[in-house]
Amino acid sequence: MRQYIFKRLIQFIPLLLGMTFISFIIIQIAPGDYFTQLKMNPEISPETIENMKKLFGLDKPIITQYFYWLKNVFSFNLGESFTYHVPVSYLIKIRLKNTLALSIFSIFLTWIISIPLGIFGAVKEGKFIGKFLSFLAYIGISIPSFFLAMLFIFFISKTGFLPLGGTTSLFYENASFFEKFLDYLKHLLVPGLILTLTGIGSLYRLMKNNFLEVLNSPYIFTAYAKGLPEWKIYLKHALRNAINPMITIFGYELSSILSGAGLVEIITGWPGMGRLILEGVLSSDLYLVMASLLIGGILLIIGNLFSDILLAIVDPRIRLR
Amino acid sequence: MKKILELKNIYVGNEEIKILKNINFEVKKGEVLSIVGESGCGKSMTLRTIIKLLPKNIKILKGKILFNELDITEIQDMERIRGKEIGIIFQEPSSYLNPLFTIGNQIEEAIKNEKSKKLCKEKVFKILQEVGLPENVYYLYPHQLSGGMQQRAMIAMAIVNNPFLLLADEPTTALDVTTALGIINLLKNLVATHNLSVIFVTHDISLARFISDTIIVMYAGFIIEKGTSEEIYNQPLHPYTKKLINCLPEKYRKRERILTIEGEVPSLKNLPSGCPFSNRCDFKIDICEKYLPGEIKFENRIVRCFKYGNIVES
Ligand SMILES: Nc1ncnc2c1ncn2[C@@H]1O[C@H](COP(=O)(O)OP(=O)(O)OP(=O)(O)O)[C@@H](O)[C@H]1O
Ligand SMILES: [Mg+2]
Repeated sequence: MRQYIFKRLIQFIPLLLGMTFISFIIIQIAPGDYFTQLKMNPEISPETIENMKKLFGLDKPIITQYFYWLKNVFSFNLGESFTYHVPVSYLIKIRLKNTLALSIFSIFLTWIISIPLGIFGAVKEGKFIGKFLSFLAYIGISIPSFFLAMLFIFFISKTGFLPLGGTTSLFYENASFFEKFLDYLKHLLVPGLILTLTGIGSLYRLMKNNFLEVLNSPYIFTAYAKGLPEWKIYLKHALRNAINPMITIFGYELSSILSGAGLVEIITGWPGMGRLILEGVLSSDLYLVMASLLIGGILLIIGNLFSDILLAIVDPRIRLR
Repeated sequence: MKKILELKNIYVGNEEIKILKNINFEVKKGEVLSIVGESGCGKSMTLRTIIKLLPKNIKILKGKILFNELDITEIQDMERIRGKEIGIIFQEPSSYLNPLFTIGNQIEEAIKNEKSKKLCKEKVFKILQEVGLPENVYYLYPHQLSGGMQQRAMIAMAIVNNPFLLLADEPTTALDVTTALGIINLLKNLVATHNLSVIFVTHDISLARFISDTIIVMYAGFIIEKGTSEEIYNQPLHPYTKKLINCLPEKYRKRERILTIEGEVPSLKNLPSGCPFSNRCDFKIDICEKYLPGEIKFENRIVRCFKYGNIVES
């Protein structure tokens, strides 16, 4: 197992290198780079611009620049943001925390609701309640997340039911830790619930379909023929088999944390990575974008590895190959 | 000898399709009964009817299934019969075993009326030994076993509660010849040691003759002939059974080429009003296409053919 994990990690290195290399070049060849904008800004002297070029190694060919950046990454220096004039790592630290909080909150909630609901829906397939749930899921899937976000924002701005935008209230400074936590959670609730609501529909449907498919398998027939009680057939034999394909999806969700929440972050004013990346891309903030990509890549590795390991744990056919 | 199971006038299907029609037979204690017939004639459905595990859209429409004098068609909590008094094994053990649980776990959970974990485990080890599997199989997963071992594990699961009746749905079709013979011999031993009754479903009429006391031949959802295995094999009555036996591989040697039964089995959805075999029969007379032949009884034999008398199914 340990050997397997190690092998997988090694396999990811060329992937990460290739991904960052290609992105680096694509960002650079895009028209309208940061320097053209700076040069047109009359408040900045040509000397400053020259200086920055040297500092970031930007007067060298693009390929050399990439290795320059790579060398810095290995010494934990992600470079400076062109727009904010602060280290990229500083920017990312706060934003990443917010995005992680939002994603973990919504992923947890989505899964804890969808999985049992999916099983319930499968068991009640064809009955009124099952049809009703499928109808709700259908609506949930067809409503775009930005539209749901708009509805939420409209509702909340009318009622003032929950805080909107940012992560903290004004009284934040002199609050106790618990109050601070509660306040943060309240701010998290709007984007968190939007993400959850848009996620439940498809996850419910996946789980329900998996479960239904498993219920048709021969080994479920065996379980009935053994005279096992129905609850045991559902919760032992069917659940374990229906959950397996979901693990891959869970890993995939972990991998796409950065991009997954982006749109909702931007609409609801949640200061997470999504907004930062968008701004970075729009202003060709090279090192900011590269650092985000790197984190995205690392998340991809973690997500994949996580689901691989989990699958091996639950599936003897993988574990005992 | 004592009757274990008796099917009386059983009809299975739904509005559109009648799968089993007027099925009557009985199984005595320690008896092995084989059901033979072409694919789709309703062999598996007969077994599934006995444990009332039919597809959702299929129902028992009529008739009685007496199991130890109890009418199964009226029992609500079949859980107390399934696995405990009637066991079942299948054609592809690999897909009928849950891939995520050990063999030990899957046999153990089938055990009824035994609370103590330790005794359960001992029981599993004992049954493993009985079906000819080494102890360590307890800790193995299905994919770690060969097909023959998987089938032995299925058998262990099916008989661990010492049931009255074992249903075997083509248990050797997916296995190679030597492995299959091992399984057949195991079943024969179990019949002797446990005084087990078996309903053995197969395509292979010579295998049926080898293993069973009685043979039932099915065609398009009807029982068209029934008799002792020697009677069926040596003096088949129904033209269909005769053809089946003529097609047997052991009769190849004398001929140039392998025989097959010409023509198609009629679809169960629109059966002809007459004998379902009439379109393929060499002895067809006028009445065959008009009326459905009823069951004609000769002592213990049954045949459904106008050659042997003019009894029409009502
Ligand atoms: N859910 C269903 N709805 C309608 N018809 C069905 C259904 N399941 C099975 N049948 C029909 O029932 C008939 C009998 O099927 P069964 O499985 O008993 O055949 P069999 O004799 O076991 O064949 P095989 O040798 O291929 O296993 C088939 O003709 C099939 O078309
Ligand atoms: Mg069958």
